[in-house]
Amino acid sequence: MNSISKIIKDKLIEIWKIADGMARGKTLDGIEYVAEEMDHIFGILVLGSFVGLPSPPMQISLDLMPLMERELMLMMEKVDTAHEPISDLFSELDID
Amino acid sequence: MGKGGVGKSTAAALNSLFLAQKGFQVLLVSLDPAHNQSDIFEKSLSDKPGKIVDNLMGIEIDQDYWIKQYLKDVQRQINKTYSYLTAFNLDKYFRVMKHSPGLEEYALILVFKDIQKKFDHLDFLMFDMPPTALGLKFFMLPTLSLIWIEQLLALRQEIIKKRDIITKVKLIKKEIETDKILNKINEMKKDYQNLKDIFEDCEQTHINLVLNPDKLSLAESTRIVEALHDINITCSQIINNKMQIDSSCDDINTTFSDIPICQCPYSETQLIGLANLEQFLKANDSVLEEQVNHLLPSAAEK
Repeated sequence: MNSISKIIKDKLIEIWKIADGMARGKTLDGIEYVAEEMDHIFGILVLGSFVGLPSPPMQISLDLMPLMERELMLMMEKVDTAHEPISDLFSELDID
Repeated sequence: MGKGGVGKSTAAALNSLFLAQKGFQVLLVSLDPAHNQSDIFEKSLSDKPGKIVDNLMGIEIDQDYWIKQYLKDVQRQINKTYSYLTAFNLDKYFRVMKHSPGLEEYALILVFKDIQKKFDHLDFLMFDMPPTALGLKFFMLPTLSLIWIEQLLALRQEIIKKRDIITKVKLIKKEIETDKILNKINEMKKDYQNLKDIFEDCEQTHINLVLNPDKLSLAESTRIVEALHDINITCSQIINNKMQIDSSCDDINTTFSDIPICQCPYSETQLIGLANLEQFLKANDSVLEEQVNHLLPSAAEK
């Protein structure tokens, strides 16, 4: 009897872990996408003059530039997908 | 400060010389890209302090040099932190960057900070300002930069909050890693706030607005005072320069009723060369005494 209840308990814990992992994964996808877009906005605000957008006083952009290689690379990647923003968004939200 | 040609450089030269003669240690710094102090004193001045007379040194800043040095410094930091490929692609941008709007006035700010740091022990730092447009941009730069920095700071803090949520959801151990960009923005905020405080403090910064008794000069001076007022900076004194016997100053007295006005007479002799300047000071001792009177309490505190 005890071994059966132990097996059931272990199975329940396993099911719980799988469900928990799936739920976390789903939550993460959304938040990570938002975080990445905010990084993108930040990059545009600071370095937008390099892609033709209004930007802060030049010295603010230049002072922050040495610390923003990642944001600059992100902007360059975005230029590649810029002609298909809807498909990028659909792909992120799992819409077929 | 003042419209081009009203006598800012000469007024700065006379005030500096007068204070030096009274025994105060003075550094006269020309921030005007079209330097005049070498011509006024008939002495060669450079971007290193040069002695004019006892107690008085002069500098004529090289704006291009400061812009180049700043861009070189940024490029050096980028080369250190970026991977080779990215740094290579950015090189071409730096060749045209020195002509970017905003860098002229930032170069003046860099000079101001450097001079303040190195010569704080002197009694007076006298800055011969560039004409209105660049002069106003110089004073406005900290306020405008702070507006942008507040926005960037708020957005950056939001990004960090989102990243913290991701860390918690992933149940990974939170690494105590400080965001370098946030630290840099906070550092810049402190720096610009410090500059803003200095410009707004009437005890530290005395702005003499030089004008002539004519309509154009009065109109531009009114706009200068209004623009400075918008960023919480007050003029300490108006110097009504090149006053002649038949000059009327009713308009000036009415327009600037809340700012002390000092009348400075027109000189028949051109105020070029130490001899002519000293002669003018001798003949108009009371005028210069009135012009520098409000500065003396700050020097006494030092």
